[in-house]
Amino acid sequence: MKKTFFLIALFIGLGLSAQSKYLTKKGTVAFEASVPSFEEVKASHNSVTTIMNSGNGEFASLVLVKGFRFKNALMEEHFNENYAESDTYPKATFKGKILDFSLDKLNAEKQSFLINGQLTFHGKTKQLDNINVDITLNEEGIIVSGSFLANASDFDIKIPKVVKNKIANDIEVTFDFSLKKK
Amino acid sequence: MTKNKKFRVSIIILAAFALILILGYNYVYQDHRNIETEQAAFSLSADEISDEFSKNPEESEKKYLNKTVEVYGHITELNDIDLTLNDNVYCGFNTSLNISHSIDSEIKIKGRCIGYDDLLEQVKLDQCTIVN
Repeated sequence: MKKTFFLIALFIGLGLSAQSKYLTKKGTVAFEASVPSFEEVKASHNSVTTIMNSGNGEFASLVLVKGFRFKNALMEEHFNENYAESDTYPKATFKGKILDFSLDKLNAEKQSFLINGQLTFHGKTKQLDNINVDITLNEEGIIVSGSFLANASDFDIKIPKVVKNKIANDIEVTFDFSLKKK
Repeated sequence: MTKNKKFRVSIIILAAFALILILGYNYVYQDHRNIETEQAAFSLSADEISDEFSKNPEESEKKYLNKTVEVYGHITELNDIDLTLNDNVYCGFNTSLNISHSIDSEIKIKGRCIGYDDLLEQVKLDQCTIVN
């Protein structure tokens, strides 16, 4: 019943406007908080879900935090248990909007756009403004990529004194989504 | 202390030091879990696990998160390094899938549960391997 209703609503929605959804289940999100001359603190995730509405540029990503893979197994364990606390906060999300987005502006060349939105991680939400993203359009769909800096303290992540000089507080987050039309 | 005894004591200290070093190294650079060889904590159908997650996400997270699970169902989407069972369980693999299975064939997958994707209403597994 719920599904039928959803489908009807979806068809009405599609009929009313020409906007359509682009989606990926295996987007990549990586972060790095390395400090030179210490062991790298770096992880990547390659099954991030992202949905984008090509009509208005609305954009939503969901990261299941346990899926971040580190080279070092102990670092991965500590990340999950002590920093991200992924048992309590298994999800990280980003919800936002690409500014002045229009499908007509896209082509095979990289185009720069800005995106505003809220990033939620470790149970804390932070507004991010004017993040640069590169967007290209090809036969397969839309590719959205970029990077931004996030601050560990903004998300209430405490870095113990003992390792403070080995982990950067400014964390570079990079992302890459190949969205396909749904 | 005789010369001989001194020598023996320093050998013991050296050996103890080396042992601590080796243990410490093995702790810091321990191997990742090997989901493939781990015994699955749960074995159930794709519909069952996604039902549990959609009805009771928090309880299910406590129950399944980071656990090795075996899930069976039929393939509804098949890609290079991932496949989807019954439209409701997404299985990510570490390496390219090289299988004879095709869309709609029955399959059993072992993987680690990383959570529930509420955008797509799918349970996600990573580090998957094919059981049969």
